[in-house]
Amino acid sequence: MHRLVRDHIEDVVAGVEAAPVAEHLRACEECRRDAAAMRAQSAALRELRAPDDAEPRPGFYARVMERIEAQGPASIWNLFIESAFGRRIAVASLALALLLGVYVISSERAADQPILAGQQAQPAVVLGEDAPGRVISQMDQSSMGQSSDDAVLVNLVTYQEQ
Amino acid sequence: MSSLSGAIPFPATKDGTRGRTRVDHRNSEEAALVRRVQARDEMAFREIVERYQSKVFSIIYGILRNRNDAEDIAQQVFAKIYFSIRNFDFRSSLLTWIYKITVNECYDYLRKKRVRKLVYESDFSAEDAQRMEASDPAVDPRTPVDVRLAQRDLIVKLLAKVSEQDRSLILLKEVNGHSVEELAAMTGLNENTIKVKLFRTRQKLLKAASRLTRIRTAGT
Repeated sequence: MHRLVRDHIEDVVAGVEAAPVAEHLRACEECRRDAAAMRAQSAALRELRAPDDAEPRPGFYARVMERIEAQGPASIWNLFIESAFGRRIAVASLALALLLGVYVISSERAADQPILAGQQAQPAVVLGEDAPGRVISQMDQSSMGQSSDDAVLVNLVTYQEQ
Repeated sequence: MSSLSGAIPFPATKDGTRGRTRVDHRNSEEAALVRRVQARDEMAFREIVERYQSKVFSIIYGILRNRNDAEDIAQQVFAKIYFSIRNFDFRSSLLTWIYKITVNECYDYLRKKRVRKLVYESDFSAEDAQRMEASDPAVDPRTPVDVRLAQRDLIVKLLAKVSEQDRSLILLKEVNGHSVEELAAMTGLNENTIKVKLFRTRQKLLKAASRLTRIRTAGT
């Protein structure tokens, strides 16, 4: 569309274009076609005009107030429920809480591992079919070496738990 | 339509004054009314409802053509105004702000209900059709009513493809019949900006229409 028509498109759409614009439209097929499309579009938009007697039923204000009372003041929770941004924040918070939960649980488990004073943090028992025998042999070794009652107890407790 | 694409700068108006239409929305009688509502004055709110209820109802009914839905959405619009008027910042006129809320509520409703055959499912009566025939001399009376209804349906769908602001602006221009000067005063934008926005919206609507036509043609 040429600039002359573009600059006066509101007049063209309304059908009140000035003589030079009308003259150009007669001569330029492309502008004529585009202007016709915009006029048709404008006519379709005007179909959205309501009839003159479109009015709400009497007592409208009372019904509005009823609705306002029913809805109550906007709650902070509505922000999370009604908006996409709020929902994203809620999902992100849940994911963060889940991660924190996993971290806390795994760190608690790590803290529960038996670490004997003065010993390497090695598993007291590696379970297998010969597990009871190995526990007893470890008991023997520890009784021969450092002979600690606590170590024996810890080994036994660990064996029972697993 | 290739020449329609791209950003098109509009020239400044020749007299240099028409381009700026500044209206002080803070110091009008309407602003005083809004401030009373912001201070939770029920009587002021009642005044706003009574002043704008017909306009709001007409806008909704124009789009949906269903009186029950229009009433329901109009109530929701005023409830929304009641709860959010504290955020009204006087940058535009109250009518522009209410208009935007109203049109958005209509499109939220359409989105939620996923209304496809909008016109045909509405309570659009033969009487309405006759009124429609007589209402607008600019529309070619030889166009059959069913074609015009289909055009209405199409334009409602196409309007969903443009931004909220563009949608409100083109509807205020075409449906409510406001001039460019009035729109500038209502929105606080200058006239050239209004013209550019209107032109671009018209372009977008035409492009969306041709895209939709291509899809329909490919589908058959």
